[in-house]
Amino acid sequence: MSYDVLVVGGGIAGMESALNLGDMGFKVLLVEKEASIGGKMILLSKVFPTLDCASCISTPKMAATSHHPNITTMVHSEVENIVRREDGRFQVRLQKHTNYVNPSACTGCGECELACTVASPDEFNADLVLRRAAHIPFPQAVPKKAVIERAGTSPCSFECPAGVKAHGYIALVRAGRYEEAFALHMEDAPLVGSLSRACYAPCEGACTRGGLEGPLSIRGIKRFLADRYYAAHSEPEYGPPERRSGKRVAVVGSGPAGLTAAYFLAQLGHEVVVFEAAPQAGGMLRYGIPAYRLPREVLDRDIKNVTALSVSIQLNHPVTSVRSLLEQGFDAVFLSVGTRESQKLGVPGEDLEGVMGCMDFLVAANTGAIASLAGKSVIVVGGGNSAIDPARLALRLGAAKVTILYRRSRQEMPAHDWEVKAALEEGVQLQELRTPVEFLGEDGHLKAVKAQAMRLGEPDSSGRRRPVPVPGSENVIPVDLVIISIGLAPSTGPFAGELACNKNGTLRVNASTLETSLPGVFAGGDAVTGPSMIVQAIGEGHRAAFYIDHYLRGDDVTKLVFNDRLPVMDKAEVLQREQGATRRERSVLRELPPAERIQGIIEVEQGFTEEEARAEAARCLDCGVCSECHACVRACPAGAIDFSLRDQQMELDVGAVIVASGFRLFNARAKKSYGYGRYPNVIDAMQMDRILAPTRPYNAVIRPSDGKVPDNIAYVLCTGSRDCTLDNRLCSRVCCMYSLKQAQLIMGAVPLADVTIYYIDIRAFGKGYEEFFQQARDMGVMFVKGKVAEIQEEENGNLTLTYEDIEGGGGRQRATHDLVVLSVGLLANPEPANLFAPGQLEMDPYSYVREPEEDLDPGRTNIPGIFVAGTAAGIRDIPDTILHAGAAAAQTAAYLQQARSLR
Amino acid sequence: MPAVHSDDSGPRILVFSTNSISDPGIDLVGSAHMHYSPRVVTIPVPCSSGIRPSWILHAIEAGFDGVFIAADGTDCAYVSDCTTRTGKVVAQSQKLLQEHGHDPRRLKMAAICSVCAESFVSHIDRLGEDLKRLEVRKERQEEGKP
Repeated sequence: MSYDVLVVGGGIAGMESALNLGDMGFKVLLVEKEASIGGKMILLSKVFPTLDCASCISTPKMAATSHHPNITTMVHSEVENIVRREDGRFQVRLQKHTNYVNPSACTGCGECELACTVASPDEFNADLVLRRAAHIPFPQAVPKKAVIERAGTSPCSFECPAGVKAHGYIALVRAGRYEEAFALHMEDAPLVGSLSRACYAPCEGACTRGGLEGPLSIRGIKRFLADRYYAAHSEPEYGPPERRSGKRVAVVGSGPAGLTAAYFLAQLGHEVVVFEAAPQAGGMLRYGIPAYRLPREVLDRDIKNVTALSVSIQLNHPVTSVRSLLEQGFDAVFLSVGTRESQKLGVPGEDLEGVMGCMDFLVAANTGAIASLAGKSVIVVGGGNSAIDPARLALRLGAAKVTILYRRSRQEMPAHDWEVKAALEEGVQLQELRTPVEFLGEDGHLKAVKAQAMRLGEPDSSGRRRPVPVPGSENVIPVDLVIISIGLAPSTGPFAGELACNKNGTLRVNASTLETSLPGVFAGGDAVTGPSMIVQAIGEGHRAAFYIDHYLRGDDVTKLVFNDRLPVMDKAEVLQREQGATRRERSVLRELPPAERIQGIIEVEQGFTEEEARAEAARCLDCGVCSECHACVRACPAGAIDFSLRDQQMELDVGAVIVASGFRLFNARAKKSYGYGRYPNVIDAMQMDRILAPTRPYNAVIRPSDGKVPDNIAYVLCTGSRDCTLDNRLCSRVCCMYSLKQAQLIMGAVPLADVTIYYIDIRAFGKGYEEFFQQARDMGVMFVKGKVAEIQEEENGNLTLTYEDIEGGGGRQRATHDLVVLSVGLLANPEPANLFAPGQLEMDPYSYVREPEEDLDPGRTNIPGIFVAGTAAGIRDIPDTILHAGAAAAQTAAYLQQARSLR
Repeated sequence: MPAVHSDDSGPRILVFSTNSISDPGIDLVGSAHMHYSPRVVTIPVPCSSGIRPSWILHAIEAGFDGVFIAADGTDCAYVSDCTTRTGKVVAQSQKLLQEHGHDPRRLKMAAICSVCAESFVSHIDRLGEDLKRLEVRKERQEEGKP
């Protein structure tokens, strides 16, 4: 792409030079880093010395610029690099930032802003008020398109192995929109109830608020929205999709991975048949996790989410060959058979009756085959979750004594800490550093176990210290039932001949597409990863559905990326940003007392009340700003919002460049003695200009601490300018005049207020400026000649200024006001130098772009073809900026014409 | 991007707009500093269904290359079937143009709402392009070329 001129910056200087050059017939590209052109002027209330409305003057120029036939405007874009080529033209690299909104579809209607669930400081209103993450930058924005502020992916959503947008549903619960929260969860995972009970919640571990009082109880919030939805909707509200693909997919195994894959494949219009070997669907959810953790009604309702799409689940139907399924006419297969087998210890007596694998025990107990263990003593061997669940279940079946034998110590137990704690509370005994060496029986029945003590030796490959037997430490323990829970093994035996497997029996698959060694056969869940967590299996089911769908369409699956996310937010950065957050204690899900809960198979945990859920959701810090709740996507009538859009880099070639990158405002926090940022009623002049502007944030002039209309306002001139302690000796040229302007506007807006301006000099040098100053005096503005040394806050929010009374009685004086406005100076923006090779674009000693012949050749820089317009070269007021922009445009036109005639 | 309209060539187009709806839309084009040919002139009327076919014929015979009727679609507060009514006017006018040896494609109609500034510019630009092609074709016909 090629243009005659690149203008860097869409403020008044940039727009003016672009319009001049466009009118002359040159093709101009105007690049602006904000989401709208207009620069600083569009933020102002009125201008000096005429008190014309700033918007009324700027907006026609903004419209003219954006509609000019010869000007292309690129907003939300930044020039990164400019290189002069041998032929005299310039190679430009720029970054187009995305708003996540398709600009040709967006009409700027603002519906997305009304639906958005996240609030963020409004930079257009100098952070005085909040706006939403999805927003129109300001009412007169050109172009008027929505912007979705996304700083990154929030840690909770990023951490979730299934990609569930936790931040999104938390933001919706916070806003009281529970049904939308449920719908959002269903976009990523259909087994909402099961996850709300049994997920190990890695999101909570990642939650940034963990660095304050404690992480959000995200799983508790999920449980609230799931229970609420299921109470109101006993059946799913949808049926199968209308458009069918004509393809058939077989899913083997109805555990979390299989059910999830079936759900997403059916949604995409494929016919899905699930084959389940057991008498009921659910896999590990039904047969592994005990009902006191995951009640059966919740699981059954989750499964309805899948079957409502006309997914057929064939029960009591084991599958032993995937090839046969393909031969039967299925176009693809998803294998999710899980880890139904229990690993064996390999010690003598293991096949005695009364020694069971943990899965066999759990299935028997969960189906009622083992109804009671009254009076029996039970030993569970192992230290993972697969040991804790059988132990706690045995207790509820009435066992007289339940002991866990673990060969390492408690710290090394892989089970979740809270589960071990719960088990011990309920009365399960734990014998650390012991392991069985033999099972003793009579007539084939177990009678006792011979166990041995262990001590911890050197760490092994997993990093844990190896247990080493202690010789001579054996003892014999009488026992009725032993449950071996040392690990689970994949149920992939029947497929070993058809598919490539790993040494431990898990299936070998392509890491991203999940395709096995047999084309058209995909696999996921524990059968691939080994024993893992439900949410991981769900994530794999969703991933597999994505790739299977594309495989069925004949797409090249290697080119596709599933679930591309923005980079995760840096927690330290978020905590820094949210320093002002009010401290609130976290709510935790209540549990029944141990004695009560082992009375039977009763649900242990209780959910949040509505108040608790919303209060907990209100603790969210909105790490990534946008929560990905997709409320805006649903609200947009034009379907313009697209979260998959990304920033783009572009290269283009231009004949000349005008740098019009403007100035920076002095950040008054740097002047510590004035209290800006500490005292709420010390504001800066930009904030006051916003308060006075027609597009103001409040309906009146009020002060931040208590909303009182001020009646005694002080202006402190030269804040950040003419100040060697802040390394800026320059006068900012416009502050005296803008302070006089604001003072006059305040006299109009708040007629009863007194305004006092504390000055060193009043610089009113231009045409009409002295008259403007006299006008302010005549309106009753008071002037005190004296530099303000310090500002201190009083109890009621008022402020006391200490100043040198130069023209009065002399000496140090003090005065109290209820609002102080700091007339902040304008500083150089040193960015332009970074667009070129180091040192290539000469800057002057004050960090402005240097004009080698400032008086005779304004607008020229040291690089031929690179020009500068406006405050990028030095502070100036609005009329002088327009003048300078005209000069730069003339210089550029002459340069381009010369270049053309030379060719 | 539309071409720069700065010269005296290009088709002359007469636009009939409606006082309440399409004329404000056309006026917005100017307020928003959008560009269209200066050889386009607009006559606002109270209702586009009141345009007489004889006016269209008169416009073409008086020297306008094309006529555009900016009707109201469903926006008008008084009648909701503007498109049908104005459509009848267009049909009659095109028949009249043909009877007098003029190409009926010189008349176009579209619904322009009170904020349809961009839409108006795009319709007029397209009509301008079509009219230019008609001129070229007429010249070729007169020269005996296919």
